[in-house]
Amino acid sequence: MCNITKETTFEAISTVIDPEVGFNLVEMGLIYDAIVDEACNVHVVMTLSTQGCPLHQMIKQWVGEAVEKLEGVGSVDVEVVWEPAWNISMADKNVKKALGGM
Amino acid sequence: MTPVSQDFAPPLKLIAPFFDFGVLFYLLSMLALLFFEPTFSYQQMDVAGWVHLFLLGFVMMIIFGAMAQLIPVVLEVGHVVVDVYYIILPLLALGTVVMVLGFWLMPALLPYGGLLVLIAMIIFAFENIATLKKTELRTLTVDTVAWSNGYLLLGILTGFALALGLSGDLGINVSLMLKAHVYAVLGGYVILTIMGLSLTLIPMFSLAHGFDETAVKRAFKLVILSVALVFVGAVLGFEWLMMIGYALSFAGIFFYIWQIYIIAKLTVRKELDVWAKSIIFAFVTLLLSILFSIVYFITEQETALHTSVWFLLLGFVTFFIIGHLYKIVPFLVWFERFAPLVGKEKVPMLHEMYNKEGAAMMFWFTSAGVLLGGAGLLFESGILFKAAGSFLFTGAVFLYITMKKMLAYGE
Repeated sequence: MCNITKETTFEAISTVIDPEVGFNLVEMGLIYDAIVDEACNVHVVMTLSTQGCPLHQMIKQWVGEAVEKLEGVGSVDVEVVWEPAWNISMADKNVKKALGGM
Repeated sequence: MTPVSQDFAPPLKLIAPFFDFGVLFYLLSMLALLFFEPTFSYQQMDVAGWVHLFLLGFVMMIIFGAMAQLIPVVLEVGHVVVDVYYIILPLLALGTVVMVLGFWLMPALLPYGGLLVLIAMIIFAFENIATLKKTELRTLTVDTVAWSNGYLLLGILTGFALALGLSGDLGINVSLMLKAHVYAVLGGYVILTIMGLSLTLIPMFSLAHGFDETAVKRAFKLVILSVALVFVGAVLGFEWLMMIGYALSFAGIFFYIWQIYIIAKLTVRKELDVWAKSIIFAFVTLLLSILFSIVYFITEQETALHTSVWFLLLGFVTFFIIGHLYKIVPFLVWFERFAPLVGKEKVPMLHEMYNKEGAAMMFWFTSAGVLLGGAGLLFESGILFKAAGSFLFTGAVFLYITMKKMLAYGE
């Protein structure tokens, strides 16, 4: 029986902070989905705020490492996608407010 | 998918000295400015010496360091031989010093300094071109990198011919060759590179997305064509061709500013940090530069041309570079010293890695100096120009100190 859910996966990823803006990836709206199968293998679908991000590989690695800390997790796979493209409307209210976007 | 960058990222110890030396040369050039008067001719050797101290020592040095880091980001491939940057730095630094001494004290030194700079830039341009050949990307930014490096080669070859001409070793028309040299280096390399970098860096730091790039595509094409026309016109002595080139470059810069306006409208991040203030000031001074160049073309007043060039170099180019230093340097230091600690211990945010009061003092002193200097040149006022020099030098001291602290953060 796998106890890992999409919610617990998002919670784990929320420990990863973007060092440029200072918010975690979940509240930035960069994590699109987390698919957990019966064997507790996790597939994270995420994006980045810019395609030229020099931290691309590193952020992907941090997300993977954060999910691997979940108890009982199987394999972890992180996929970065560019569609749909990220925009500020995907971020939490506190992020929008802090960035001055509302 | 774009697997970019840190696999290809050069180490901090390779890039940091470019910023260190660049800021030192900036400090020296602002110090030297205190000894200049607002009335001068572009063909004065001491003025040429100052321009090379500023453009080679500061502008080129910083751009080369930044390109070492950004070329892999833009092209999505690693450098062919990144270690050449260890050779480029001392050659460029020494070549700049020898050239400036040549302009100021002993013209016979010019070809030697020029040769050192020529070798540094040829290595830089050929390494970039070799790296360009590796990429499969065919974006406009990639094409712009190719064109700008081609113009850099033309610029340094004409520059070397000028060095030989000024030292008496080569019989050339110095005035026309100077125009070809200035346009190839300043328009063909510096401005094209800044335009290309703008399109990557400004949306990245301001979190602007989904904008139409038609304007900047037109801008790139117009500036590339205008530099070619002015260069050929200057080499062949066709004044009319140069005039068409000047007109096209105005149109190109107009489209570039229009593109920046489009990006600015979509900016998510409204925080006015030192980067945002610097970028705003850079574009205000670019507009002032355009305004005074139009005044020059109408009135043929030399003071308007001096003021225009002043706002272009000390305003636009300087603030574009300095503003980005407060973003790029903390990132490089963080990436080297703190990224491996993520998840293991608390790491600083990038904005915590520079002294905000020092950066604010840098901004206010430097921007006041730029505006006073522009007024000093326009009205040929020695007092205003000396005041500008004092403000700029004080701003440069703040830049130097904050930069040193950023580079030493977490050591």
